[in-house]
Amino acid sequence: MDPRYKWPEKPTLLGTSVKRLDGPDKVTGRARYTYDISRPGMLYGRIVRSPLPHAKITSIDLSAAQKAPGVKAVLAWKDVGAELFYQGDPIAAVAADTEERARDAARLVRVRYETLPHVATEAQSMAADAPRWNLAQANTRAGTRQETGDLDTGFKQAAHVVEQTYSTHVIGHVCLESHGTVCEWEGDKLTAWVSTQGCHQAAQAFAQALGIPQTDVRVITQYMGGGFGSKFTPDSQGVICAKLAKLANAPVKLMLDRREEHLDTGNRPSAFATIKAGVSADGMLTAFDAQSWGTGGAGQGANFPLPYLYQFPNRRRAHTDVYINAGTQRAMRAPGHPQGCFLTEILMDELADRVKMDPVEFRIKNAPKLAPNAMWIEYFQRGAKQFGWDKRHPTGDPTRGPIKTGMGVSAHLWGGGGRGTQAHVDIMSDGSVVVKCGTQDIGTGTRTIVAMVAAESLGLPVSAIKPEIGDTQYPFSGGSGGSTTAASVSPAIRVTTMKALDALCAKVAPALGTDAGNLMASGGRIHVRGDTSKGLAWKDACKHLGTEPISVDGAWADGLSSSGTSGVQFSEVTVDIETGIVRVKRILAIQDCGLIVDKLTAESQVYGGVIASLNFALYEDRILDRVTGQMVNPNMEFYLLAGMSDIPKIDIVLNNMPERGVVGIGEPPTVSTSAAIANAVRNAIGVTIRSLPLHPHKVLAAIEQERAGGTQ
Amino acid sequence: MSEKDDRFAVSRRDFLKSAGVGGLATAVTAAGAAEAEAQTGPRVVGPGDVPVTLMVNGKRVELRIEPRVTLLDAIRNRADLTGHKRVCDRGTCGACTMIVDGRTVYSCSTLAIDVVGKQIRTVEGLSTGNTLHPVQQAFCDVDALMCGFCTPGFIVAAAALLERHPNPTAEQARRGLDGNICRCGTFVRIMEATMAAAAKGVRRV
Repeated sequence: MDPRYKWPEKPTLLGTSVKRLDGPDKVTGRARYTYDISRPGMLYGRIVRSPLPHAKITSIDLSAAQKAPGVKAVLAWKDVGAELFYQGDPIAAVAADTEERARDAARLVRVRYETLPHVATEAQSMAADAPRWNLAQANTRAGTRQETGDLDTGFKQAAHVVEQTYSTHVIGHVCLESHGTVCEWEGDKLTAWVSTQGCHQAAQAFAQALGIPQTDVRVITQYMGGGFGSKFTPDSQGVICAKLAKLANAPVKLMLDRREEHLDTGNRPSAFATIKAGVSADGMLTAFDAQSWGTGGAGQGANFPLPYLYQFPNRRRAHTDVYINAGTQRAMRAPGHPQGCFLTEILMDELADRVKMDPVEFRIKNAPKLAPNAMWIEYFQRGAKQFGWDKRHPTGDPTRGPIKTGMGVSAHLWGGGGRGTQAHVDIMSDGSVVVKCGTQDIGTGTRTIVAMVAAESLGLPVSAIKPEIGDTQYPFSGGSGGSTTAASVSPAIRVTTMKALDALCAKVAPALGTDAGNLMASGGRIHVRGDTSKGLAWKDACKHLGTEPISVDGAWADGLSSSGTSGVQFSEVTVDIETGIVRVKRILAIQDCGLIVDKLTAESQVYGGVIASLNFALYEDRILDRVTGQMVNPNMEFYLLAGMSDIPKIDIVLNNMPERGVVGIGEPPTVSTSAAIANAVRNAIGVTIRSLPLHPHKVLAAIEQERAGGTQ
Repeated sequence: MSEKDDRFAVSRRDFLKSAGVGGLATAVTAAGAAEAEAQTGPRVVGPGDVPVTLMVNGKRVELRIEPRVTLLDAIRNRADLTGHKRVCDRGTCGACTMIVDGRTVYSCSTLAIDVVGKQIRTVEGLSTGNTLHPVQQAFCDVDALMCGFCTPGFIVAAAALLERHPNPTAEQARRGLDGNICRCGTFVRIMEATMAAAAKGVRRV
């Protein structure tokens, strides 16, 4: 990378709070999401899905649906004889002129099944005599095997050993905009409005699934209502929508309903581990031996990092993926980390109690050394002071009455970082600037940071930049996942706008009687370095372009972003030991994030991450009936999410580290809140609950068990 | 009660009997139905399209829709006002919150034929030209939105709250917004925006 393109030492915009450019469109309802797209002659699609968790299709009769009023296309997605692996597995689809008629017609598709035995829980699936989840595949699959150091030595050094089983549950993404597309063909070319986290990736997947050149697919995602890792491909519903549109020779909109959204758009896998861990008398971790497992439903990939973050010199871990007859897992905001973090952090508090050490002190002793991307030790110290950790009582609130108060702490890490993204910039002779990049704004504020970075480079106000994103007609950018968007897009925009500025300076230099290398942009002017008076206002400078605009391509370059983040969170809760209800009172989230681009939206990411993790700890739970294999709560009244009255006071400390370049923070803040809450509950009631969620009945049962003889 | 009202009330009853869709019984609906039946007895319309006139943001919207069409779907799919979203479809999440005769309703769980003759207000009716409603402006100022899908429902709920309680306590504001859910986690700033809008003053429209 040209060293002149590095981030400015004294930025005027970067790191400040800039309001979202599309805020007014979103607050007025003008913003058009995929769900809001309407095309002339548009039909509505509807999918017929398996009501059974495991079955074989013995017949499909589409004839009644074909004759239903308003129906324009009907297709079988699966063949007779196909095996179905979960409730909600797609089978057939219809398109009709209204949504209501599409629903009516879908009910007329007659499917007959041969019921097959199913497994609905990890324990059922792992049992010796378990029926197979899939006639052609075993119920478990060996995963990661790791061994470092010497376990025997480690356990010999241990003064105390804790051996317990810990677990987390399955939750869903619950995107408010359901998964779906609007597909429209013009001859052999497909235009698809897709609610996706990766428009270029969606185009590639459409091309592969439909057997057409990718150049014939255009994907548009101007606004999308949440993905959280579940929206990287068009999925079955997208391909079905495209096929229905082709069959009907009309545009088709196919958005899933809430029930389908719960059944067939991914979930965060469960995580279980039986862990034996040792600690020396002076509070050093010595050994860690774990058997872990988890389920991603009818798909593999239930792995998670374990042990998480802390330094066990001697450790062994063996993981097993378990299959059950339920919807397939997908990446969900910081895949694997919230699970690994909870399992390890609860254990950490148990170990700290064994050696009678303060949990913060114990963590500092066993955390990785300080580094720019590993700031835990400093954050523990700083956070303890800010949070009032010295007021924390030892495990078990000694005060009388049913409301017990407690504090907890936990830490997390994440990768993030940038990768290949391309951009295009046009500077017109009237001074207007358009920046094009095929990234997408999934709610994080990408559109705004594109404009901010361009404005910073060109010395213009943000309002002078027109950012164009969310369309495969713009240069390639990756999917918005892994907290990589800001660190991928910002450098690409920086490089491209600086190249464009070079080109503009070359055109203007003769008029100013100097070399282009002596010119720079700031305060809405192109001027001689160190002398703002010797220059031209932006618009006057652009007049020198005549009829030929500056039109420049550029790409992400190394040196403007980095990966690796660390964070620490503190929580304070109350637990009513008569009802089992947990209320979170306060959260402190300390997070490093490299160079902050937009402070306002960066803070929103942290708020959002903390609240999502609070939901994971206290409310959400994908409940499958053990006998029927049916999801009990595929809706939003029994699948619980926090509302306004459940939100605690949240304090955020963002550690701006501009020297590191841009590092994404969409995921890290959501990792450790749930563990901090669980440790605070433990501190409040003096009982260790080793599994999430902390639903009232589980809290009461744990207290009951403790009274009846203890949980160790 | 006018003849038109009678007809719609009856068809709604027929709908409730036959369709078995959950979550339709808003307080307004139930009271209206009972009243209509007591006066006229059952008369069936539909299941085909029937003419329906809605007053949306002060403008007449003439539609021909099946009696089973919800207020939300009528406005979104037939009148192309797409600000409000269908998310839970069960009167739980509030993304479809509209104001009908001064009260907030879940429009996903309200039949269009039940709100004939009533004043319906949507998020599209809050701003005037390019001037945002104080609640909308406050949401933009403090970043009380991320993906934005729940935002129109929250904005309408907050605006309705401030029309009833111009200077709400924090507790009143929380209660007033408890019928809405955000998945991105913007709650802290939604509270901030609501209180900021209250401080600036919201006049009843």
